[in-house]
Amino acid sequence: MQPHLKRAFTLLAIIIIAFIFVRSLAVPGSFGEYGWYRGDSVNELRSQDIEYAGSRTCGDVGCHNTLYSIWNQSRHKTVNCETCHGPSEKHASNIRIMPEPADDSRDFCGLCHYNRVARPDGFPQVDPETHGQNLRCAYCHNPHKPWFV
Amino acid sequence: MMENLVWGYIYPNEAEIQWSILIVLYPYITGLVAGAFIASSLYHVFGNKDIKPVARFALLTAFAFLCVAMLPLLAHLGNPQRALSIMFTPHLSSAMSGFGYIFSFYFIVVVLEIWLAFRVDIVNAALNSRGWKELLYSALALFSYDISEKALEADEKLGRKLAIIGIPSAAFLHGYVGFIFGGIKANPWWSSSLMPIIFLMSAIVSGIALLILLYLVVMRIKKHPINHKTLYSLAHYLWVFLIVAVVLEMLEIISIKYEALEEIEIIEHLLAEKIAFTFYGIQLTMGALIPFILLLLVGVIKNRDKLKVAMVAISSMFILIGVFAMRWNVVIGGQEISKSLAGTMTYVPVFFHHEGVLPAIIILIIPFIILRVVTYILPPWKDMMEENEEVAVSSE
Amino acid sequence: MNLSRRDFTKIGSKIVIGAASGPVIIDALVKKARALEISPLRDYDWNEHFWGYVVDTTKCIGCGRCANACKLENEVPFDEPVYRTWVERYRVLKEGEAVIDSPNGSIDGFTDDIPEDEINKAFYVPKICNHCENPPCVQVCPVGATYTTNDGVVLVDYEYCIGCRYCIQACPYGARYYNNEKGTADKCTWCYHRITRGLLPACVKACPVGARKFGDLKDTESEVNKILDRERINVHKPELGTKPKVYYIGLDRVVR
Repeated sequence: MQPHLKRAFTLLAIIIIAFIFVRSLAVPGSFGEYGWYRGDSVNELRSQDIEYAGSRTCGDVGCHNTLYSIWNQSRHKTVNCETCHGPSEKHASNIRIMPEPADDSRDFCGLCHYNRVARPDGFPQVDPETHGQNLRCAYCHNPHKPWFV
Repeated sequence: MMENLVWGYIYPNEAEIQWSILIVLYPYITGLVAGAFIASSLYHVFGNKDIKPVARFALLTAFAFLCVAMLPLLAHLGNPQRALSIMFTPHLSSAMSGFGYIFSFYFIVVVLEIWLAFRVDIVNAALNSRGWKELLYSALALFSYDISEKALEADEKLGRKLAIIGIPSAAFLHGYVGFIFGGIKANPWWSSSLMPIIFLMSAIVSGIALLILLYLVVMRIKKHPINHKTLYSLAHYLWVFLIVAVVLEMLEIISIKYEALEEIEIIEHLLAEKIAFTFYGIQLTMGALIPFILLLLVGVIKNRDKLKVAMVAISSMFILIGVFAMRWNVVIGGQEISKSLAGTMTYVPVFFHHEGVLPAIIILIIPFIILRVVTYILPPWKDMMEENEEVAVSSE
Repeated sequence: MNLSRRDFTKIGSKIVIGAASGPVIIDALVKKARALEISPLRDYDWNEHFWGYVVDTTKCIGCGRCANACKLENEVPFDEPVYRTWVERYRVLKEGEAVIDSPNGSIDGFTDDIPEDEINKAFYVPKICNHCENPPCVQVCPVGATYTTNDGVVLVDYEYCIGCRYCIQACPYGARYYNNEKGTADKCTWCYHRITRGLLPACVKACPVGARKFGDLKDTESEVNKILDRERINVHKPELGTKPKVYYIGLDRVVR
């Protein structure tokens, strides 16, 4: 081979080897551990903070157990505490951190209970125009134990 | 304002168009690269002597655009500092993962071929200059100054081999860009096995058109008469590839309309309401029909060179705009239909934004600056002019 | 002289190539050995689970608490139009046309803006990432920044994603979005941080009517498995061959 071509190909070879070397440094250690991805990322994603503690946390630790047992037997027992009260894991692990107060507006209750055509038949719904004279729902209904069973 | 841009139902996450004008530019630029390279191969591989005057210039043009081909992508990435991951850990089931390697391989081929094509000039310049110029050209010559007949013969052999490898890799570079879109089953406007070949053909068309325009501009700047044989030969290829490209594009549309699958309604809405002007107006009429007729006339009309040159120039310009519109209609058009197939969005380009029109313009200007610099270092003018006289003499 | 120099370059280049590729090969072998060992998560064996999700569209009341809870649990930019889960409303009019909407992903609920007597039928459809068995988003990721875990969850590696958004284009369900803060793609994880600690995803917890069920498909006694055994179910866009793992009860033909 001609010397100038030899030089050109040597240069090319050096670039390729340099690339392989840089690559071996740059690829994260856990890459390819379980598949074509960074194995460590599974743990990173898993260690994300939890925001919703779950209703049992509210009742079991003996803080809100009275309310919990009322709610637990009510027709609203399918509605978890935090669905209205907001995410409370931080509050559960440190009671000084208070969660936002629950939204007690008519529109909030209406998210589930205003008349909507698309809702399944038989789901309890009211017409906000005619029902309850624009009073807050909790004026008549206890959200922890609604009276229609 | 948002509401006016949306028609029908789009999935809530689709409010923002993800691939901006920069992603329109990317296949456009790689297309110009592939096209210019294939134009130079017409001489280097297929031995078409008419193309010889622009063969080396075409290589430099391909190089200049190749240098910026990855810029629009880089500017578009959410985390550009991680861009090299695409080469460090290419996920091979992704059409996009090939980008780094195909691009690099092609880059090496183009650089090597330019080096071989200009080596005599480089060595002569190194031997006949002093100071920093001597250093530059000596470095470019890799401090090896052998231009004996034997050495040049080896160069030519390798150059030919490279050009032969270069054609499939140019086709691959651009065909795979088409596959990036054609392989997306979620999007009925993209999903098509014709997409790679459509992209490739329109790439060749745009590359030749660019080469013609650059050639005319250079000749005007250098105040040198145009080599009509070269120009008409290029125009002839332009016409042939234009026909192939347009036939394929039409085939795609016709089969979508004829098969009339689930997505037909939304695609008809797209064509009628969203991209009617850029598709029927610019891509098909301005970018295909008019150049087709003009180039046909160029082939038919005898003498009247001034008129024919003007017609070739206009066709080339229209084709360049038309191919850009074609990229736009694919990239933006495909994103303007919701994957719910029940609604459309509208892409509104912004000017001052890292993914806006301004960076797109800058990225389109850079290759011309690079071309100016490269042609300053490695002037290809000699063959563009000398050959001219030779041909002129021989034709008399 | 010439010969020895050639030999020298040959041996030299072999050493350099060997030095560069050696660690790569050894590394790969070590990794393989580790992969066989087990799960990356100490107190949780991902080979023992395979998660699945059931949506009962006949129960959904369109309150949007799921979409709300999801944004709060997962720090999804609250005021941007990006959602890991959302609820769609379908109203098939008497004249035959289907009107679909999902204002703010259902977080603010729905209001009736079409008179009831013009509507033939209406219902809600909750949407979420399908965590496909054959995920097109994973297929197209050029760097391996999105992947399927052994327990069947499709995740995004925010530290590795380059933000090219090809996966967003490839998802037929519009389940992925671009996270402007991170500069990466983002999507539902089925609350991977919760399910691997024995909790339910936030959206399932938030649903007041039990329209969303989540469970282990490897556990024959799980609720999702019982539903799959009993009910007539469908998935979204089955013709695309993505094999979704979110199964729907009562999926109407107008649903997109």
